[in-house]
Amino acid sequence: MKLGLIFSALFGVSLCLETFVGHQVLRIKPKNEEEVKKLQHLETMGHLELDFWKNPTAPSFPADVRIPAKRVPLVKAFLESHGFEYSVLIKDLQVVLDKEKQDMAQSQQKDRSTATFNYGTYHSLDSIYAELDHLASAFNDIVRKIQIGESYEKRPLFVLKFSTGGRNRPAIWLDAGIHSREWVTQASAMWIAKQIASDYGKDPSTTSLLNKMDIFLLPVANPDGYVFTHTTNRMWRKTRSRNKGSLCVGVDPNRNWDAGFGGPGASNNPCSDSYRGPSANSEVEVKSIVDFIRNHGNIRAFLTLHSYSQLLMYPYGYKCTQPADYAELDDLARAAAYSIRSIYDTTFKVGSICKTIYQASGGSIDWSYDYGIKYSFAFELRDTGRFGFLLPANQIIPTAEETWLGLKTIMEHVRDNPY
Amino acid sequence: MQELSAAPPAAFLLLLCLSVLLLPAAAAPGAEQKLSPSSRLAAGAARVALHYLNFQTASPGALQALGQVRKATLKSIPDSGHKYYLQFTTEDYKSGENAGSCLATVLYPKTKSPPVVSIKCMQSKDQRQIQEEDNRLYQKLRHQTKPITGNNIPDSHGNIEPALESVWALAVAGSSYIMWEKSRENLDYFMAQVKSVKQWIRKDDFTEFDYTVLLHEIPTQDIISCHMRLTWLPGHPLKVKYFCASVNHGLEDGSGMESGSAAGVLHEKGPNL
Repeated sequence: MKLGLIFSALFGVSLCLETFVGHQVLRIKPKNEEEVKKLQHLETMGHLELDFWKNPTAPSFPADVRIPAKRVPLVKAFLESHGFEYSVLIKDLQVVLDKEKQDMAQSQQKDRSTATFNYGTYHSLDSIYAELDHLASAFNDIVRKIQIGESYEKRPLFVLKFSTGGRNRPAIWLDAGIHSREWVTQASAMWIAKQIASDYGKDPSTTSLLNKMDIFLLPVANPDGYVFTHTTNRMWRKTRSRNKGSLCVGVDPNRNWDAGFGGPGASNNPCSDSYRGPSANSEVEVKSIVDFIRNHGNIRAFLTLHSYSQLLMYPYGYKCTQPADYAELDDLARAAAYSIRSIYDTTFKVGSICKTIYQASGGSIDWSYDYGIKYSFAFELRDTGRFGFLLPANQIIPTAEETWLGLKTIMEHVRDNPY
Repeated sequence: MQELSAAPPAAFLLLLCLSVLLLPAAAAPGAEQKLSPSSRLAAGAARVALHYLNFQTASPGALQALGQVRKATLKSIPDSGHKYYLQFTTEDYKSGENAGSCLATVLYPKTKSPPVVSIKCMQSKDQRQIQEEDNRLYQKLRHQTKPITGNNIPDSHGNIEPALESVWALAVAGSSYIMWEKSRENLDYFMAQVKSVKQWIRKDDFTEFDYTVLLHEIPTQDIISCHMRLTWLPGHPLKVKYFCASVNHGLEDGSGMESGSAAGVLHEKGPNL
C-alpha cells in the first residue's frame, strides 16, 4: 500500500511538473549480459532523466524506457553506436496522454451506470450524487447520506455523515464548492470522503478521530452554480438566485454570512461576482448550513475549501484585527501547511483572511468563529494562477492527497483539544 | 520561507487595514515600511512586475510566474504614489520549474495610470534555449496551411491540446500587457482562459492573432472579457491592441493600444524617481 502511494506520488509529481511533448518510449532488447549491464549503467545517469517502465534484467527480456524529448537524440545515438536493438513504442507520449484524456472525457458522459467512480477526473453533479449513494452503501457502517436543505433551484444539499456511533458527538464540519467554478474543491472533497471511509480501521489517526468525533462533509455546497458551470458558464461563482430589480443573477455565497455583513470587501451590486445579497443568510444554501450547525449544537471545527491560491487562513476577513485565539490558530495553520508540503512540496501561505488575501465581509469562517467554533479555517487549494480555476484533472488526486494531510493535522488537534 | 515572527506592531497593522480601499494609509512621506514576504500587496506588486516583464520580453518560451517573495519594502512618495521594492524568485510559467530571481520596483501612481515598473532578473534558463524554443514556435505558427483557430484553452478540465500550447503561451504574453496596464495597488489580475483564438495569415514575417481572453480580477472576483489583437515576430516587441468589457458591468472598462515600442529584451526599464 505504501509503495503504491509512493509510486502514485512520484507519478503525480511528474504529471504535475511536466508535459510529455516529444517524449519517446523505446523498447530495447539486450542481446547479452554485457548489454544488460550497459543499460543498467545508463539507468544510473541521473542527468539523462530516463524513466524505465520495464527495467533491464536479463538478455532477451526487453527494457522499456521513457526518454524526455531533449535527450532522445543523445540516447538513440548511444544505443546505435553500441549496436543495441531497439524499437519506438511511443513516438510522442503527450499525444497518447491527450487521447486518453479525451477517451476519459467521453466515457465520463456514460459513467453513471458504471460501478467505479474515477476520482481523478471532474464529474457532473449527477455523477457525484450517485457516488455519494455508493459510498453510503459501501461503507454503511460509518457513512450516512443526509439532506440538510435544498438549493434555490430545488436541488438537494447532501452531506455525508461519518460516525462510529454515540449521540451528538463533537463534530467537524467540512464543505467544498461553495464557489461553483472552484472545481478542484468538489473533486477533492469526493476523494477525501472515500479516503476517510476506507481509512477507518486501517489508519490509526483516522480511526481514533472517528472513535471520538463525527465528520460532516458537504462536497457540493452550491449545486445550482455547479450545474451552471457545466451547462453554460465554466466561470460561474455565485448562487443562481434571482435578484429583485436586476437582470443579473446570483449572490456570492461567501459574502452572505452574518459576519460583518454589509461591510467592506463585498459588493452591493447584483451584477458583481462578490455581491453580498440583499441580507445575511438570504441564500438558502448558506441558511441551510447555518441552521444545521445551530441545530446540531456540538460542532467543534468549521473547515471550508476554495481554490485557487494555495493559502490556509483563519479569521478574520471582515476586519483586520486578530482573533482572540490568534496564536493557537496560527500555530495550527502552520503545522497543517507543513503537512501539506510533505508530499509534493506544495507551499501554502498562512495567515488571517484579511492579511493574506483581502478584506472581505460576510465570510463563512468569520461567522463560525464568532458563533463559537474556535477551529475555523479556510483553504485555498492549487494552483497559484497558472491554470487557476481550470486546474488539469491530473492534479486532482495530488491536490486531494496533500489537502487531506493538512485537514488531518487540524482534525487531530481538534480531537486532542476539546473545549 | 520567511515567517511572521512576533505579532507585528499595532501601527503596522493599522496601516495595512484601515483603508476601505485596502490601501495602506499614507505613511509619513518618504517613510519606508518593511512588508512581510507573505503580504498580499507584495505578491500583487511582484505579479505586476512579472506582467510587465513577460510583455517586454515578448518571448512565449520565457514566460515567468511568481515563485516566492523574499523581501518587500513599501515607500510612500509624496505627490507620486506608493513604491514597492521587491526581491522574488520566479518559476517557468509552463513547467513550474525554478527559473531564477528578480529585483523590481513597482510604483503605483496616485493618478489612475498604469504602474511604473523596473525589473532586473537573473534567470536560469539558457538564452539560446529560449531563442530556439521561440523559433520553433514561430516556425510552427508561420507555416500553417490553414489559419489556427481554437476555443476554450484550457478547456473546462484544464486540458490544453498540444497543437494549441504555443498559441496559449502567446496569449499569456499578450495578456500580460493588458494585465500590467489595468493593475492597481488594490487590483490584481490572472489570465483565466483563452475563450477563442483566430489566426490572421500575413504576407510579411509577422504572426497575427485575434484573441478573446478571460481575465480573473481580484478582489472583485469578476471575470473580465478582453478582445486582443496581437502581432509577434521573435526578437521584436509584442504589439497588442485590446478592448475589455466586464462580463458583469457591461461596456465600461478601458481599452488600450500597444506600447511595444520599448525593447523586447529583459533589462532594467523605467524612469528614475
